[in-house]
Amino acid sequence: MAFEEQIDVTSQLHDVRTSAIKNFENKGFPTKKEEAWKYTSLNAILKNDFTVFPKHENAIEFAEVKKYFLHEIDTYKVIFVDGKFSSFLSSTTHDGLDVCLMSSALTKPKYKMVIDEYFNKIASKDETLTTLNTAFANEGAYINIPKSKVVEKPIEIIYFSTGVENALMVQPRNLVIVGENAHVQIIERHQSLNENPVLTNAVTEIFAQKRAIVDYYKIQNDLLTANLIDNTYISQKQESRVSVHTFSFGGNITRNNLNFYHFGERIDSTLKGITIIGDKQHVDHYTLVNHATPNCESHQNYKTILADSSTGVFNGKIYVEKEAQKTDAFQQNNNILIGDKATINAKPQLEIFADDVKCSHGCTIGQLDESAMFYMQSRGIPKKEAKALLMYAFSNSVIESIKIPELKQRITKIIANKLGVNLGFDL
Amino acid sequence: MAKYTEDDLKVELENKEYEYGFYTELDSETFPIGLNEDIVRAISKKKEEPQWMTDWRIEAFRAWQEMIEPEWANVHYDKPDFQAISYYSAPKKADPNKTLDDVDPDLLEMYKKLGISIDEQKKLNNVAMDIVVDSVSVATTFKKTLAEKGIIFMSISEAIREYPELVQKYLGTVVPQRDNFYAALNSAVFSDGSFCYIPKGVRCPMELSTYFRINQAGTGQFERTLLIADEGSYVSYLEGCTAPSRDENQLHAAVVELIALDDAEIKYSTVQNWYPGNKEGKGGVFNFVTKRGICEKNAKISWTQVETGSAVTWKYPSVVLKGDNSIGEFYSIAVTNNFQQADTGTKMVHLGKNTKSTIISKGISAGKSQNSYRGLVRISANADNARNFSQCDSLLMGNNCGAHTFPYIESKNSSAKIEHEATTSKIGEDQVFYCNQRGIPTEKAIALIVNGFSKEVLNKLPMEFAVEAQKLLEISLEGSVG
Amino acid sequence: MLSIKNLHASVEDKEILKGINLEIKAGEVHAIMGPNGAGKSTLSSIIAGNENYEVSEGEILLEGEDISELAPEERAHKGVFLSFQYPVEIPGVSVTNFIKTAINEKRKANGQEEMPANEMLKLIREKSELLEMDRKFLSRSLNEGFSGGEKKRNEIFQMAMLEPKIAILDETDSGLDIDALRIVANGVNKLKNENNAVLVITHYQRLLDYIIPDFVHVLMDGKIVKSGGKELAYELEEKGYDWIKSELN
Repeated sequence: MAFEEQIDVTSQLHDVRTSAIKNFENKGFPTKKEEAWKYTSLNAILKNDFTVFPKHENAIEFAEVKKYFLHEIDTYKVIFVDGKFSSFLSSTTHDGLDVCLMSSALTKPKYKMVIDEYFNKIASKDETLTTLNTAFANEGAYINIPKSKVVEKPIEIIYFSTGVENALMVQPRNLVIVGENAHVQIIERHQSLNENPVLTNAVTEIFAQKRAIVDYYKIQNDLLTANLIDNTYISQKQESRVSVHTFSFGGNITRNNLNFYHFGERIDSTLKGITIIGDKQHVDHYTLVNHATPNCESHQNYKTILADSSTGVFNGKIYVEKEAQKTDAFQQNNNILIGDKATINAKPQLEIFADDVKCSHGCTIGQLDESAMFYMQSRGIPKKEAKALLMYAFSNSVIESIKIPELKQRITKIIANKLGVNLGFDL
Repeated sequence: MAKYTEDDLKVELENKEYEYGFYTELDSETFPIGLNEDIVRAISKKKEEPQWMTDWRIEAFRAWQEMIEPEWANVHYDKPDFQAISYYSAPKKADPNKTLDDVDPDLLEMYKKLGISIDEQKKLNNVAMDIVVDSVSVATTFKKTLAEKGIIFMSISEAIREYPELVQKYLGTVVPQRDNFYAALNSAVFSDGSFCYIPKGVRCPMELSTYFRINQAGTGQFERTLLIADEGSYVSYLEGCTAPSRDENQLHAAVVELIALDDAEIKYSTVQNWYPGNKEGKGGVFNFVTKRGICEKNAKISWTQVETGSAVTWKYPSVVLKGDNSIGEFYSIAVTNNFQQADTGTKMVHLGKNTKSTIISKGISAGKSQNSYRGLVRISANADNARNFSQCDSLLMGNNCGAHTFPYIESKNSSAKIEHEATTSKIGEDQVFYCNQRGIPTEKAIALIVNGFSKEVLNKLPMEFAVEAQKLLEISLEGSVG
Repeated sequence: MLSIKNLHASVEDKEILKGINLEIKAGEVHAIMGPNGAGKSTLSSIIAGNENYEVSEGEILLEGEDISELAPEERAHKGVFLSFQYPVEIPGVSVTNFIKTAINEKRKANGQEEMPANEMLKLIREKSELLEMDRKFLSRSLNEGFSGGEKKRNEIFQMAMLEPKIAILDETDSGLDIDALRIVANGVNKLKNENNAVLVITHYQRLLDYIIPDFVHVLMDGKIVKSGGKELAYELEEKGYDWIKSELN
C-alpha cells in the first residue's frame, strides 16, 4: 500500500498528518510481539491488496439497505458508501446543532476553531493504527451539539461498502462534541454489502463537556469477510456521563480499542458489550479507563459467547492515578464457551496508585448452567431453545441498559437470529 | 495527650532496622569478579563435578550469552553488571564431610543471630535443615534419621557426586537451561543448593528446610534446588532467606525444580526476607527466581510464599499440571514497603484432564513501593474439565504506593471453568476506630487487620513457619497507614 | 458516672451539638430520642472519641475525670463502650480473636496480666450463652456476612465481655426482628447493675419497651429540649416529634 502521495498537503492539518505518518512509518502495523496485540494478529488481513481510495462513487438504493437502518423511528443520518458521503441516504442538519460530514468541517473556515481545538486532541499520537487514520482520514461524521441541547432524535452513522473494489480499506474519522448539559444518542454501524474483503480502521473522538450525557451504541454485525479496527477515544469533563455499548456479532476480525479519559470530578463512564460469535470469528475488546480525578465512577460489563472455532479476547485496564481518590471502578467479564474449538483470552488489569478507592474486577469462563438446562427441558422447552434462552439471560444485563427501545428490540432480534431461534416472545 | 498517631508509626516503621542486617567475619574463599567460560569451568572443578555436569553448565553459559535480560515486568532498577560480581564464595572451613562439631564457631555464632539452631532444638521442631551460606551448603542436619526412610536430603553438590544418575535424570527437566535469562545464568554458575529425593510411598516424617544466607559482599547467590517426590510420596519443604544490609544491590538468581510423580504431593513454603534496602531505596537484594514444578497423574504441588524482603522481586512459582487429576496451588502474601518493588505471581498450565488449580494472592503495599500480581492460567485444548479459581486482593497503605494486577487467562477448552476475582482496598478509618473503641490501640489494630487480610494464606503455612511469618508481617508493616 | 457539660461539637465547620448537658448516675438507664439529623449519633461518637468530630467547648467527665482529650482506646480502657449502629467488618479476624485482643489490651492498660486461656474460654462460653450465640459464630470473621441481628448480638456480647462502666447503645434496635430484639435487650438487662450505667440512643420507642429507661431526653437540633420519665417516650411515639417542636415555639 502506498499512502504518501495521497496526503492533502494543502490542508490546515498538514503538521498533524505529517507527524502521524512519521509515527506510523516508524512503527508499522502492530504484531503479536506487542503486549497490546498479544492475542490478535492482523497478518492474514494485511495479505490482501487493499485499495485505499476507491476510484468512483458507488450509489446504492435505500430499499437495498433499509434493514440496516433503525427505520422504525425518525433519526438523523450520516451515511457513507465506500468511504464517500452519500447525501442521498443521509439526513443531516445545521439547525441548532451540527450533524454533518468531517470533510467539510476540515476544510471550511467556519469550523476551523472547533477543529483546532478538538481534532486529534484526545486520540492517541502513538498508537499505530490511530496514527495511520490520523494521517489519511478525511471523511466521517462531524457532530457538534451546543450547550443544553437535548437532541430528540438519535443519530445514525453508517458506513457501507459495496464491494465494487476487490478489497477495500476505509479509514473513517468521527468527531463528536457534546456541550454542557447537552444530551445525545448515537448509533454507529459498519456494513458490507457483498463478500469482497474490507478493512475498516475507524477513529472516533468524543468530547463530553460538563454534565453532558452521551449514549453511544456500536452495532458490529458485518459479513464474515469484513474486518474492523475501531479506535474510540473519549474525553469527559466533570459530572458528564458517557456510555458505550458494543454489540459484536459479525465480522471476521474485530478489534475494539475503547479509551476513556477523565478531566473533572464526579464523572460516570459505562462500557458494556455483548459478543456472540462462531465460525472462525475473532473479537478483541481492548479497554482503558483512566481515572485521573477524584470521585469518579466507571462500570464495565462484557459478556461473550463463543461457538465453533471462534476466539474472544478481553483486555481491560482500570488505571487509577494518585490524585483519583474515592474512585469507584468496577469491571466484569463473563465468558461462555460453547464451541469445542473456541478460545478465550482474558487479561483484566488493575493499576492502582491511590489508596482510598474501590476497584475490583471479576472474570469467569464457563458453560451454560446444566441444571437450568435440565429444568427447562423438563418443562417441555426443547434443548436448542433452552440453550438460547440461557444465553439470552446471560447477556440480558447488558441488553437491559439500552435506552432506545427500538434499538433494544433490534439487538434482541439479531441475537435471536444469531442463536438460530425464534424466542417467540417480545423482549 | 500522649497519642501515638499513625504518622508516628510510619516514622518508626521506616526507621526500623532490618533485623538480620549484620555481617559475620568469616574466612572465605572468594573467586575474582567476572564471568566467562573459565570461571564456569573453575566452579565445576572446585566442586569436583563429573564431565557431564561441566558440559551442561557450559551449554547453559553459551545460551545465556545470547539472551537478553527480560523487561516486561513492572519493576525498574539499574541492571546488574554481571562482570562485577563474584560467582563463587565459600566459608573456608566448610568441609563437605563435616559433622556439627567441625563447623566453624563463627558460623555457629551467625546461626544463633539468625535464630537458627542446628542442634537438638530443631529436633523438637521436627525440622531437618540444610544451610547455604553464600554459595555453599554448610550443614545438613538429620541426615541419618532421614536415610533410614531412604530419603536423600543433602546439598546438590554432594548429590551430584553421590547420586549422579538421579541428578542427571531430573536436572533441567522442569526448568530447562535456556528457560529464561536468569535460569540460564543459574544453570551456568550455580554453586550449591539442596537436593531431595523421597522414595516411593514414603511420607517424609519431618519438615525439610533450607536456610539461605548471603554473607560476603560483592557476591551473587545462585542456588539450585531439585526436589523429587517419587510415586505416592509426600514432603513438606521450607525455605528461608536473609542477607546483610549493604549499600550495593546483591543478586540472587535461584532455580527451584519440583517433580511430583504419580500420586505424590509436595508442599513448598518460602519465607523470603532478603535485605530490602534502606528507607531511601539504597541497597537490597535483587531476587530473580525461577520456581516451577511438574505434576504427574493425581499429583499435587502447593506453593506458599510470604515475600517481605528484597529490593526487587521477580518470581512466579508455577505448576505444570501434566498428569490427569493433578492439582496445583499457589498461596502468596507479598509485602512491599519504602522503595521495594515486587512483580510476583504464578503460572498454572493445565495439560491433563480434570486438573485443578487455586490461586490466592494477597498484596500489601506501603511507603513508596510498587506491588504487582502477574499470573497466567492456561487451559490447553486437551485439558477437559479443568478448574481454576483465582483471588487477588490488594491492600494499599498510604497514597504513595501502587498495587497492580495483571492476570492472563487463556482457555482453549470449552469444558473449562475459571473464576478470577480481584479487589483493591485500604484499611478503613472506621475499622481502626472500631478497634480503638474496644480498647485496641491503632498499631495493634492495623496488625490485626493485616493479619486478617492475609489469613487464608497464613493458614497454609506449616506451624513452625506460621508464627515467624506473622511476626515478619507485623515488623514489615505496622502502622504504614498514611 | 458520666457527666456531660455544655458540649459543643462540629464536623467540617458545621456545628452539630450546641451545648449538651447530661448527668447519668451509676445504676441508671437514660434514653436519648430525637428525629433524624438531631445529632444523636454524633453525641455517641464524641463520647467514644471519634476524631472526625471537633469538640469546640464543654467537657465529658467519667467518674469525675475529664476524658475528652483521651484517645478512643484510652476511653475504652476506662470503661466507655459504644455499641455501633453500623458495626464494621474486619475480614479474617475471628470474633474470638478480636475479643481476646480487646480484653488483654484493656488488662495491659490497667496493669494486669493477660487473662489465662482457660479463664478466657470460660468467660466466652458464659457470655455467648447469655446472648444465645451459636458456637460456630465465634470462629467467623468479625461482622463479615453477619445479619443485622447477628451484628447487634455480637456488639452486646462484646459489651458483656468487656464489662464497661458506661454502655452507649446507638440505634441498637435498627435492623432487628422481634426475637433478636428480645435477646439483645435481655442481655443488656442482665448486665445492668448498680455500678454501671446505660445510655440508649434511639429514634423509636420500641426498644424502650424492653430496656426500661429511668430518664428520657429529647435531642433536637443539637440540644436537649425536653427531659422526663419513661412516659415521655410513649408521648413522643403517639404525638411525633412535631409536637415537641410546636410546644417549643
